[in-house]
Amino acid sequence: MLERFIQAIRTDNPGLEEPAATRERLKGGFAPGAVRRMTQLGLLVGAAASPTLFQTSIHPSSVQQVLIGRQRSVREFFPLAGGPYLAGQALLVALLATTPRVIVCGGEERGTWMAECGVASTRAFAFALALTAVPGAGALGRLTLSPIDRTGGLSLADWFDLLHFRRPFAGPAAPGWQLKLEWS
Amino acid sequence: MACHLSDSVRLAASACLTPLGDTAATLAALLRGERALQARPVLGREGGDRVPLALLPGRELDETVPPAWADAVRALLAAVPPAPWGDARHPVFVTSSNFGVGSLYAYRRGGDAAHLAYGEPFGCVDWLRRELGWGDNVTIFSHACVSAHLGLMQAARLVRAGLAERALVFSFDFLSPFVAGGFHALKILNADFPAPYAARATGSIGLGDGAAFAVLTRDVGELAIAAQSLHNEMFHFTANRPDGAGFAACLAPLAAAARGCRLWVKGHGTGTLEAGRLEATTFARIFPQAPLVGWKGSLGHTLGSCGLVELALVAAALRAGRAPGTVGSAAPVMAENVALEPFATAGYDAVLCASNAFGGAHAAFLLDHA
Repeated sequence: MLERFIQAIRTDNPGLEEPAATRERLKGGFAPGAVRRMTQLGLLVGAAASPTLFQTSIHPSSVQQVLIGRQRSVREFFPLAGGPYLAGQALLVALLATTPRVIVCGGEERGTWMAECGVASTRAFAFALALTAVPGAGALGRLTLSPIDRTGGLSLADWFDLLHFRRPFAGPAAPGWQLKLEWS
Repeated sequence: MACHLSDSVRLAASACLTPLGDTAATLAALLRGERALQARPVLGREGGDRVPLALLPGRELDETVPPAWADAVRALLAAVPPAPWGDARHPVFVTSSNFGVGSLYAYRRGGDAAHLAYGEPFGCVDWLRRELGWGDNVTIFSHACVSAHLGLMQAARLVRAGLAERALVFSFDFLSPFVAGGFHALKILNADFPAPYAARATGSIGLGDGAAFAVLTRDVGELAIAAQSLHNEMFHFTANRPDGAGFAACLAPLAAAARGCRLWVKGHGTGTLEAGRLEATTFARIFPQAPLVGWKGSLGHTLGSCGLVELALVAAALRAGRAPGTVGSAAPVMAENVALEPFATAGYDAVLCASNAFGGAHAAFLLDHA
């Protein structure tokens, strides 16, 4: 069984908010002049305060928009894409990391013409979790992944809702992996 | 001091496909100093400047439905050792920097909605998954030109932890007017052919089609991935830190692991001046005895797949006992360790394979005889 403890969490659920409105709402979190070049997901993952000012997302451009702006190098950076198993696959990468602290971050931005074609999200959201190998005194929750013999998925949007509403979960999250999410 | 490297993750199989042919044909052509790159219009049938591109034989740059590279992928993957790929114990990792992005561009240009099925990463890979008969356990990584290294690292971690019996890493990047046009807009894809690590006045790259696979296990195969390292500078959207600190940070763990080992280095070597100089001088400083070669002067840059394409060629070179030199380059070079000509691999314990990417992303691993 793989295990990590949640030490910090932030979520942003703008729903159908237009990118221009997101830009106006979050512009105070970025250097003047930087905001107009940032995508909606870059704004969402970068503006929510984190314990380390060190937030990433599964989309490299939004990660780089934020971390380059803050000049924050990172040792390992695993940008994933995926479908119904993406949340479980991302957690497996995080829980197999050899570092004592891992940030799991992701989201979607609301597509425009691609959404109309059915190949992009119609909803925007973003999340970031700081995970550690040891529980510490103030852990907010606990994540485990255990091998199982069956398959099953947890979409990124469903994973976001678990985090946003602090709901527990126990079930398959990716082929061969059972996820358990508990809140303190 | 003796060389002691881990052999806990073995390379059970690997192969690549390039415009020069399969692994054996590509290695033979590189050893002969042949160049796959040819001057072609950057926007395909819409024309534009002629730039160095290397396409699979008979393939045009413009997108088709289904993608014209699909048959080549099927042929390459026919050589993958049989296994229930995509089940819980046999995970598949697919990496690319392009996926089918050219299909999105083709849709925008021509309005044919059939292109959309291949246009975004998950849809493109899921189509391939179904075509190839893999199960659902397929993970997708995309991190520009170090993408393949991420697949290799996650695969190695699962194998090393005993959570996978075997892991398949597959990477593919096929050029399109969108990709070629993008690099052309950056002015690094221009009329000149690349000369990796050559100290010349103007830098240039070439782009190439490429696909490759590797199968990792714990106990099968005469080669081992002994150590892996990543580092992400997050310094600039395209450039590296001018002091080369990102290159050194990535190599430090491998230098420690390879203490006492005689290495040769398969570098990234796209043909750009600043990154090439930083890479060559950093290798010369940390591994002063190790010859450095790069093969993108012939194959072009196969982008997110270069790490896996070049791994297959390194493995083949080790088996053949001879490594190609830096094809397409010429003296004067940026550092004394740059090897322009082929050399025998028998005098070395291991190979360091490195790739770099936009945003100061660095990745490297050590490959040796188990």
